[in-house]
Amino acid sequence: MIKQKMNLEADLAANQMIVSAAHQIKDGDVIYVGLGLPMLAVLLAKYTHAPATTVIIENGIVRTSLFDLPASTDTLGSQTYADQLNSLFYINCMGQAGHINLGFLGAGEIDMYGNINDTVVGDYKDPFYRYPGGGGANDVISFCPKTCIVVRQKKNRFRRKVDFVTCPGYLDGLPGQREKAGLPPDTGPSTVITDLGIYGFENGEMILKSVHACVGMTVERVKAEVEWDLKVAADLQETVPPTEEELEILRTKVDPAQIWVGGKRDFSKRFS
Amino acid sequence: MSKVMSMQEAVSRHVRSGDTLFLSGMQHGEPAAAIHEIVRQKIDHLNLVCVLITTYSLLIGEGLCDRIMTAWMMQDIKRSYALQKAKKLGRLPVIEEYSHFSLSTALLAGQMGVPYLPARCLLGSDYLKVNPNLKVVDCPFTGEKLAAVRAIVPDVGIIHVQRADPQGNAQKWGSLGMDVEGINASRTIIVSAEKIVDPDVIRRDPNRTLVPGYRVAAVVEQPWGAHPMHLAGCYGDDQFGFYAEVGPPEKYEFYLQKMVYGVKDWNEYLKVRRELKGAAYFQKLEMDPVPSDPVFTGVEKVQG
Repeated sequence: MIKQKMNLEADLAANQMIVSAAHQIKDGDVIYVGLGLPMLAVLLAKYTHAPATTVIIENGIVRTSLFDLPASTDTLGSQTYADQLNSLFYINCMGQAGHINLGFLGAGEIDMYGNINDTVVGDYKDPFYRYPGGGGANDVISFCPKTCIVVRQKKNRFRRKVDFVTCPGYLDGLPGQREKAGLPPDTGPSTVITDLGIYGFENGEMILKSVHACVGMTVERVKAEVEWDLKVAADLQETVPPTEEELEILRTKVDPAQIWVGGKRDFSKRFS
Repeated sequence: MSKVMSMQEAVSRHVRSGDTLFLSGMQHGEPAAAIHEIVRQKIDHLNLVCVLITTYSLLIGEGLCDRIMTAWMMQDIKRSYALQKAKKLGRLPVIEEYSHFSLSTALLAGQMGVPYLPARCLLGSDYLKVNPNLKVVDCPFTGEKLAAVRAIVPDVGIIHVQRADPQGNAQKWGSLGMDVEGINASRTIIVSAEKIVDPDVIRRDPNRTLVPGYRVAAVVEQPWGAHPMHLAGCYGDDQFGFYAEVGPPEKYEFYLQKMVYGVKDWNEYLKVRRELKGAAYFQKLEMDPVPSDPVFTGVEKVQG
């Protein structure tokens, strides 16, 4: 019974995370989207308030028409009826030249300055834990004027300082560090959205802007799931709750098989 | 001159121990039949250049890779039998990590014949600390800091495509990942194609040719050559079915004995798979085709 209640709470919080992430998108945005939670948020936005959004997937897909939630970076469903099919190199050239205005990423670990680690926990040569690597995440966060990071929040993934910077956030938090490293000016992580709350960045440091109060989250719970002394905005908000319509669309159209939302990601049964 | 040959011949003639090998397909149409043939021939000490491919886990598990240049792969040895087996064989590959863009940039530099290209990714990241082929340079014109990505010129590139002609003019469509840079950067090129077509078919739609015949060494006709991955206009994938087949140790070993070492070529592999999975298996992977409108080329009418 208690387990069921906890699962229900986790589901509601996950839904809130995806809906809040979708709210970050403005109609007409050109978005470089990673697989998984980011893709759910972008598809939800396309079904609701941002139908004119352009979706860009790193292996060469540019599309504005709706499509089924892809289980992998490349699927026949995300290729077919695309506006353009080109290459990994081409997509990133568009980003590097400043033609993609928003990035949407997941993360292995993140630190207080928005640096993401998708590589190793511990020593690079002899790691305690090995992530699969960054894929194209470094490219997205290097190029896009704004990058939203959608990630489930756990204390051991919200680090004071990550062991490996796969994707640079604001580095050590001092002003101008990205530009000093050579990264394009006015780029970097803009928002972090978790199943507990929403964060922005102030002087390069993550700051809590809003808590998911409607699913029972509190500042104390949020603080308990970060490794550092978290800054909280003076005008802290309660997160805008999902509407019935948004939840319905998420359940029936974006992820009808409950692949991500319901945690039923078991594709091995597809051809059993 | 026809370059058509069997996969067995193409691999034994052109892939050698110690080669740097580009494998095409970024989750779209990887050269799975060629990869199985390389495993069957036990060609070792390979340096792979690839992104998001699936069946290369067989090359890793059989201890055939020294080095993999990539951006994303399962590296948690606790969760990968292929890595566990490679370690047991003393052949755990070194992973040289790039971001996706920087790896495609390295191949483009190879295609261009220049030693490196600049990029604006990687700066401020720790990739620069662990990969000696990535450095920071100053732009000679603006003074800006840029990442310098060293060129990669693979000894051999293998691409699987929808159609090619006997000379090797190879046409692929759908998403292209880093196929164009990777295959054109490669010194020796093997094309495997779902179908070998008359040169006239190629010449009536030449914009689709990713690599021209004069660059190609061998052409292999291989239906279902990218299975278990999908190929646009041809078939869907069973990627997660493959993961399940080679995940647990006993299943991995069964797969290797039955589907790789136990067959002489890919057509036999397809036959065994049909026997194991039932006749409906391949039917389920067939697709509803979406035709495009024809595109016309032509010549001027002769004026009287």
